[in-house]
Amino acid sequence: MRESIIMKIHYGTALGAVVLVAVHILMRLSQKYSDSLQYQNVLANYHFLPYALMLEVVLILLSVHGFNGLRVILLELKQGATYERAINYGSIAAMAALVAYGSRTILMAGMGVS
Amino acid sequence: MAERLSNREGIKGMANPTRYGIERVAYWLQRLSGLGLLAYLIGHIYETSSIVNGKIAWDKMLALTQTTEGHLILTIVIGMCVFHTGNGIRVMLGHGGVGVGRPGQPEYPYKAASLNYKQRLCIWVSIALAALAMMYGYSILMGE
Repeated sequence: MRESIIMKIHYGTALGAVVLVAVHILMRLSQKYSDSLQYQNVLANYHFLPYALMLEVVLILLSVHGFNGLRVILLELKQGATYERAINYGSIAAMAALVAYGSRTILMAGMGVS
Repeated sequence: MAERLSNREGIKGMANPTRYGIERVAYWLQRLSGLGLLAYLIGHIYETSSIVNGKIAWDKMLALTQTTEGHLILTIVIGMCVFHTGNGIRVMLGHGGVGVGRPGQPEYPYKAASLNYKQRLCIWVSIALAALAMMYGYSILMGE
């Protein structure tokens, strides 16, 4: 994929994440901070489908943005065909692993599997 | 080859925030805050995954993270998040040509139009907003 398109994705994921992370933080502030972290309250968040879907989208946006940012930093440090290929595929793999692990939590908590 | 290697500072060059003014500091802080936020994201996803193991596991994890040290780390994360957002928007607009000015004639002493007061102001505003958000976050976290 062309780097210009990747940068557009990078900026798009950043803007999307800013809005959704703000909603995520506001949800914590909708009640007393320590109360919002109580087991039943957090579980209720996962059971509320629109919020669970939003968490999934935030997870994807931040993983794509974060690991692409890391990829850019690593490619600035060193160049070379093999190195660049390793960094590119490594970033995608790490991104996919984080999304899979986070999605597992959202799915299991949402469906009440514990 | 030797000259090429001597010019390649690698990670030391990237980690050095000096020599090129506040723009360089912003570049350095943007990368540092980005790495910090990625580390926090991974930690946060791991932390929240304990909810699937039941109430005892969740409470154990809360006891580990909801401490003074945990709140201090969270305060730093808030600062990194706000700075990364503010400065990121500046970079994004700059890449789109907004606020970078028009290049002048290349006459000595050449002043790059892109390194102007608007850009510098945005960097300072991002730092100030991060500091304010950290203070607000700290008061919420510690005021429990």
